[in-house]
Formats: sequence, C-alpha cells, structure tokens
Amino acid sequence: MAEARGVQLARKPKGARWSGRLADRLAPYLFISPFLVAFVGLFLGPALYALVVSFFKYKGYGTLEWVGLSNYSVTLQYGVFWQEMLNVAFYWVAHTIPMMAIAFLLAVVVSSSLVKHKKVFKPVIYMPQLVAGVASALLFKNFFGTNYGILNTMLGVPIPWLEDMNLARWAVVIMLVWRSVGYWFVIYLAGLTSISEEVMDAATVDGVSAWQRLTRITVPLMRNSFLFSFVIDAVVTLRMYAEPNILGGKAGAVCPVGMAPVLNTLVLNMQAGRFGQAAAVGWLIFLFVAVVSFVQYRVLGGRRREG
Amino acid sequence: MTHLRRSQIKSRPHYAVRRAAARTLAYGILLVWCLLSLYPMGLMVVNSFKSDDEMHINPAGLPVEWTWQSYESIFRYHGGLWRNFVVSAVVTVSATVISVFLSAMAAFAFAKYHFKGRELIFALLLATMMVPPEITIPGLYLVFARLRWLNTLQALILPATTSVLGLFLIRQYMLEIPDALIEAARIDGAGHLQVFWKIMVPTSIPVLGAFSILRFMGVWNQYLWPALAVAKRELQPIMVVLPQLVDPKIGFLPVWGTIMAGCTLSVLPILVVFIAFQDTFISSVVIGAVKE
Repeated sequence: MAEARGVQLARKPKGARWSGRLADRLAPYLFISPFLVAFVGLFLGPALYALVVSFFKYKGYGTLEWVGLSNYSVTLQYGVFWQEMLNVAFYWVAHTIPMMAIAFLLAVVVSSSLVKHKKVFKPVIYMPQLVAGVASALLFKNFFGTNYGILNTMLGVPIPWLEDMNLARWAVVIMLVWRSVGYWFVIYLAGLTSISEEVMDAATVDGVSAWQRLTRITVPLMRNSFLFSFVIDAVVTLRMYAEPNILGGKAGAVCPVGMAPVLNTLVLNMQAGRFGQAAAVGWLIFLFVAVVSFVQYRVLGGRRREG
Repeated sequence: MTHLRRSQIKSRPHYAVRRAAARTLAYGILLVWCLLSLYPMGLMVVNSFKSDDEMHINPAGLPVEWTWQSYESIFRYHGGLWRNFVVSAVVTVSATVISVFLSAMAAFAFAKYHFKGRELIFALLLATMMVPPEITIPGLYLVFARLRWLNTLQALILPATTSVLGLFLIRQYMLEIPDALIEAARIDGAGHLQVFWKIMVPTSIPVLGAFSILRFMGVWNQYLWPALAVAKRELQPIMVVLPQLVDPKIGFLPVWGTIMAGCTLSVLPILVVFIAFQDTFISSVVIGAVKE
C-alpha cells in the first residue's frame, strides 16, 4: 500500500515537497548530465567522429580528403581482412562448442545431488577468469613455446606450436576454452538452479531416468542459455585482440596474419596513419556485430525471459 | 510426500551401487577439470620463483633453487616495473570510482524521477550497448592527440569511465527500492543530493559492489587502448608492459621468470577481491550477463 502511494506521488509531484521549484525540475537533469557528458565526449562523439573520418583520407594531421566509400571497398577487397575474419570465425566455432559442452557438464555435475562440496568447486572452476587475457596469453605462450616451452621440454621435442599457423590457431583455442569455461559455468549453474525441483521430482517418481531427465527436460529448458552464449561469444571473439597477438607475436608486436584477429587491420591502419581506413574497419566490425545481434534477436526474440 | 518419493526411488534395484558409481564419475569429472584449470595458474606461481636463467632449462618442473630474484628484477630492472603497477592501480581505481559514481547518479534519475525525454534518452543509451567500444578507438585517438593528451594518465582513465551496462544494472536495482522510503526522507526535509547519498547509495550497495567488481576487472585487464594511447614505458599499465619484457642484453628473448612474477602480481589484487567478496563476485558475473 505504501509503495503504491509512493508511486502516485512520484508520478504526480503536485503535492510533494519537491514540486514546483525550478531546482526540483532541474534535479534529474543535473543527475544525468555528468554521465551524459562523459558518454557523449568519450564514446558517442568519438564513435561518430570515426564514422565521419571513415569517408575521408586522413593522416591524423593536415587536411581531410573526401574519398566516399572507398575506405570500405578497399577493406572489403583486402585479402588480409578476410583471412582475419576467417580466423575469428574459426576461433569462435572451435572454442565455443567445447567450452559450452564442458561448462554445461560441470554445471550439471555441481548442481546435482551427487556432489557435496559445491562451495569448493564453484570458485575453483571460476578461477581462470581471474587471470587477465594478457597474463593467460603469456602463460600459454610459455607453455607452447618452441625452444624453452613447458610442453616441448616435457615431451623432449621441438614442435613449433606457435610458429606453425595450423597449430597456433589451436593453441589460441585451447587457451580460450581454458579461460572461458568458468564464466559460462557460473551462468549455466544459475540457469540450472532456476529449473523447478518439483518438475524434476515428479519426473523421477514417474520413473524417468537421470539421463532422460537431462536430455528431455534440462537441455530443452537451457536452450536459450546455449544460444545466448553462442551468439554473445561471436561478438566477444570479433572484439578479441590481446590473446592471439601476445601468443603469436614477438614481445609486444602483432602476430602473423595466419592467426590474427580482425582488429589487427584496424590497429595496423592506425599505426600507419590511415585513420580513415582504420575507422572504416571499425564500422565494418560494428556491421557484423549488428547482423549477429539481429540474428540473436530473431532466434531468441519473445522467448528471452525464460532463461 | 517427499518421504514416499524417496522410498520409491531408493527401493529400485541396485540403487546404491548405481548411485555410488555416478558419484565417483561426478567427482572424477570435477577433479580433472579443477586440475586442468589450476595447473597453468599453479605453474605461473611456481615459475615466478625461478630465475630467468633457470626458466630456460627447467620451465616445467619445480624450481631447483627457489629464489625471489624474479620479483626483485620487477622492482629493480626493466625500468622499474613497480611504476607500471602503480599506473595500473591509479588508473583502475579512479576509473572504477568515477564510473560507479556517474552511473549511480544517472541511474537514480532514470529510476526515480519523471522528466521530459527520460524514455527516449534511456532507450538511446541502451541501443548503444551493442556497439563494440573498439569502434571509438580511431576517433578517441585523434581527439586525444588534438588535446595533447596521449601519453597521459587521463588518456587511460577517461575512456573507461562511461558504462551503459552499469547505468542499466544500477537502475534495475534502484527501481525496486520503494518510493515510500524516498518520500519519507523528503518529508523529513532531505534534499535531492541527501536522498541520493543517504538512501539510494546505501540501499544499492549490493549492485554497486557487483558493478565495481566488473569495472575493476575490466579496466585492470584492458590492453588495446592503453597500448595505443601510451607509448611512454613509464606510463604504460602493467598489462601493456608484461608482453614486452625481453632480455636486456640479447633482446627479443622473453625473460620468463620475471614475466611470471609480473603475471602473479597482476592476478593478486583480483584474487584478493575474489576471496574477500566471493558471493558478490559470482553474482556480478550473473547479473553482468543480462546485457541485451
């Protein structure tokens, strides 16, 4: 009752102490303005500035030279850009599928009545998430190193894990799986605990085996969570930069094209002083993200609140 | 009811045997993954106690000689890496504080005030959530270059201070705070800022904590923008410096002992927060994932 009255007052502030005065009407704008100023100055503004620059040739100084859409068409005809898109697509599919499988398996096991020490397992499984992308890339660079690497030393072989691009891409995938399972484990676990126990109990009494309960009840109910992680990971992978570059590059330099993420084209263009070109790459990446988000919306649309 | 069910289930043939087998399998799976996820981190800590030279011959085993040498070299050599840790700490703490503060104030207005343009502004802000922040990098770089702000601390701090996700999460939480609480304070004569400080902030502590953790991790771990915006070694955050550590005499050869000591130190603050606020930490993961 009290809450309902409060809402009333907030909506029709005539009777409230705060109404009328100019300061009271200004207050909400004063509260949002610092955020908005920062947002416009540091996010929206630079993003739109990049959009404008993407139609020009600009070295970062001197004059802007109008080039229309040529920055975009040049990028789309650039073989390296597509090789990197291909790498990203590979990273996405190759790491997301095992990651989801392992995370889900662990979540099912931890949430089951078979396991007692949940308080211990939960944080331990999550822990690789605490290691920064940069630090975990360095750990795996050390692990897969050709000459002084941990793996080669143990095996006594000189396999060029990080120099042979076919192997190096898998090294990136292994690292991504190692690091990201904990995150999705926590998400899936939250999803699993929201499945009603009554349903499960009823099924158990009706003689449904544990395996059937898993495949017929749990998995279908978790379907949206799976789709969500699959799609979100597409965006995460498109935005990836540090991991492959540190793993495959020498001392802070970028990695070879064969394993490079798509942001490398943006960064290298910037470093070469082709700001228009760099900005165009950024907006192209945004287009891909938009397409992915649109697909997610169509596939998940309307049923989102379940998961 | 439950009693009946339990007894029904338990009376099935071989129930105990099958359950024991399932339990063994479950623990087996958990132990294998826990070992796999802890192994690289354990190795990182162990290797940080080897010298750079020992890392060349013995990267996999326990140290032949446990030594603090690698930690010493972080503070002494390579231009004094401790400075980069200080840069990271200053940047992360200030960006987190500013970001939480800005988001909380705006969230208060969006949750509890009715003003012209509220729905529109909020919808527009939400729509930008799917824009990857990397898109702003060429623009940011040009603006900061024009202001002569490259190679400064503000170049690292400012771009990390706006988070629509934070605004969204905090607003969701504040919507649940009863208006009656605010109304009572108003009647007692509290002004707008007092309501914010004395009521909204204290009652929103859980979400503010969760968002602070998300932000802290995000800023502490960032790499791409700092690597582009700051070329001066002494102003680079630790994450940018770690991959560049090479043998000062030979060049290009990574000094693995020192790097592992640096990695260990870089994980430490996050680990401390994790252990201290485990539940908030885990819940921050879950609420952070609702971005749509």
